[in-house]
Amino acid sequence: MAAWSCRFLLLRGTRVIPPRAPAERPALLVGCIRTVKTTTWFEENLTEDNQEYMRKSMAEEYRRQTAEKLNPLKDEPWPRHEWTEGSRRVGLVAMKLGMVPVWTKTGERHVVTMLQVQDCHVIKYLSKEEYDGHSAALVVGGKNVSPFHRSEKQMEIFRNAGVPPKQKVTAFKVSDSAIIKPGTPLYAAHFRPGQYVDVTGKSIGKGFQGVMKRWGFKGQPATHGQTKTHRRPGASGPGGDPAKVFKGKKMPGQMGNTYITAYGLKIWRVNTKYNVLYVNGSVPGHKNCLLKVRDTVLPNRRSTLLNPPFPTYFTEEDGDLDEDLNHGNCRSDDVTRGSPSRERGRNGGEKKTMKQKQGRSEAGMLEN
Amino acid sequence: MAACTKRLDRFIISLRLLRNLQLQNERFLSTSPCLRAAGNDSESPKFVPPSKPVIVDKTQTVASLRKFLSPEFIPPRQRTDPLKFSIERKDMIRRRKVLNIPEFYVGSILAVIMADPNASGKTNRFVGICIQRGGKGLGATFVLRNIINNQGVEICYELYSPRIQKIEVLKLEKRLDDNLMYLRDALPEYSTVDPEMKPVPFSPTGEVPVNKIKVRMRPKPWSKRWERPKFNIQGIRFDLSLTPEQMEHAQKWAQPWLEYDMLKDADLSKIGR
Repeated sequence: MAAWSCRFLLLRGTRVIPPRAPAERPALLVGCIRTVKTTTWFEENLTEDNQEYMRKSMAEEYRRQTAEKLNPLKDEPWPRHEWTEGSRRVGLVAMKLGMVPVWTKTGERHVVTMLQVQDCHVIKYLSKEEYDGHSAALVVGGKNVSPFHRSEKQMEIFRNAGVPPKQKVTAFKVSDSAIIKPGTPLYAAHFRPGQYVDVTGKSIGKGFQGVMKRWGFKGQPATHGQTKTHRRPGASGPGGDPAKVFKGKKMPGQMGNTYITAYGLKIWRVNTKYNVLYVNGSVPGHKNCLLKVRDTVLPNRRSTLLNPPFPTYFTEEDGDLDEDLNHGNCRSDDVTRGSPSRERGRNGGEKKTMKQKQGRSEAGMLEN
Repeated sequence: MAACTKRLDRFIISLRLLRNLQLQNERFLSTSPCLRAAGNDSESPKFVPPSKPVIVDKTQTVASLRKFLSPEFIPPRQRTDPLKFSIERKDMIRRRKVLNIPEFYVGSILAVIMADPNASGKTNRFVGICIQRGGKGLGATFVLRNIINNQGVEICYELYSPRIQKIEVLKLEKRLDDNLMYLRDALPEYSTVDPEMKPVPFSPTGEVPVNKIKVRMRPKPWSKRWERPKFNIQGIRFDLSLTPEQMEHAQKWAQPWLEYDMLKDADLSKIGR
């Protein structure tokens, strides 16, 4: 279903405020004329029972699809190669959950962003010729969404991969040894703690902003005779010699809502049970937005990438990792004694700690 | 918000069940040696009836504790995924299993022992009155204030930092306000706490004592205009430092409509039913 276009009626004296009707779908069109009459939305010609049935059946089908796809090795997986120096592997699409503090064994505090990898699947393989002539690409999709608001063209691609429709679909440039069969699920354990990643996302949109907020200009003083000039850019260039304003001059304009990449972010921790990555520092985008995560391109940080799970981490083959993988940071049960001495092994897992019966209070809720 | 509280309730209930299980096990442990000893006795030629098992009923002492939910467990009203809060809460509980974080309020006197690589003996101990509890989740903090050698010192500690080795409550009490930042402008006697103070015993049951003390302030100017209604301070003796005209002038900043604002802390899930 393509997005339907409509014309808003602006009669003199009236305001276009669509009345809030209980059904959301028709309400959008009450205040405007529907000009595209070729497509319909899925509910338009169905009865209520049929709508319910459609929704349920689609959900069932997608659950079945994801369950099937959990073992991609069942039906002729593509050949796997070893990791070499110059090879690039695929990235993931993750959702930004929020930020938490994390402490190292020496007591330093860092802030990390939690990124959750939700239903990440490889959707399509584009060969070198198809993509850009230089390197092959793998199209990866993120969060599952309903199929009822996706066009037929998009749905065809998802159907070919046998995967529910995704909210974010991006391409990752990949070397030929790292290609993966479409339909393979990707997990957070694809990245390991201690590794560095680049995270790309759409920054929070601030709208049309002036030069002080957008570029950090100093503006003019508030007093001392300034006539109507407090936040203006001031001069726009040298003067008579160029006699022009150079291209790229910093001026007011749209700020935010563009794709920004944060480079060289260290991964502190990976939670394999919930597929959450703990990534150093802040990341562009608002909470619950989808981001593209891939291995760093920075040359000084590539050395930590020795022997990564290549081409990706498969649940059946590589077995169960510990639920919490850490890199040099304190899990909460460590207590530093003023010197970085304690070396603890990997944590056993959530199930074990919850069942351990200790005399102390188990939570802050019921206190002695 | 309702979803959060429901989850928290389930959480509390499940924890209570676990604790009950744990206590039942302890009860059985205390009875088994006696029974075993009784078994030995019955093997001797003269039949001695087994002694009555001693049931140490620990459920009584533990279950009748005050139910206290630390404020950092309550997630703020945001558009964040509840999964993030639940993962954070798991980490907080893992930390609490190692370090006992006692129940305390703003106005209680605490002693904190923290690991410090530069201190002799690798630790340092600070005693002070808690003036503020801030932050939610793993970044929860509390500020302790004390006056040492005529110098006011405030230290902000993070509850879940691994550098903290021990938190003990020397005196558990509440005050009339949630935020005692005005102690900075009060006379120093109200912020001094003896570092060698002995812990005051308090009962694990019953109400937390509320200290209804009204503090005398230094002459104005203060760091903040504490008389304004937005701070809503009950614990200052305004009559000693302000005239009634000044108090009335401060009421100009009152927002009496806020208490009737239904959306401010409304439970939005109930709207529309």
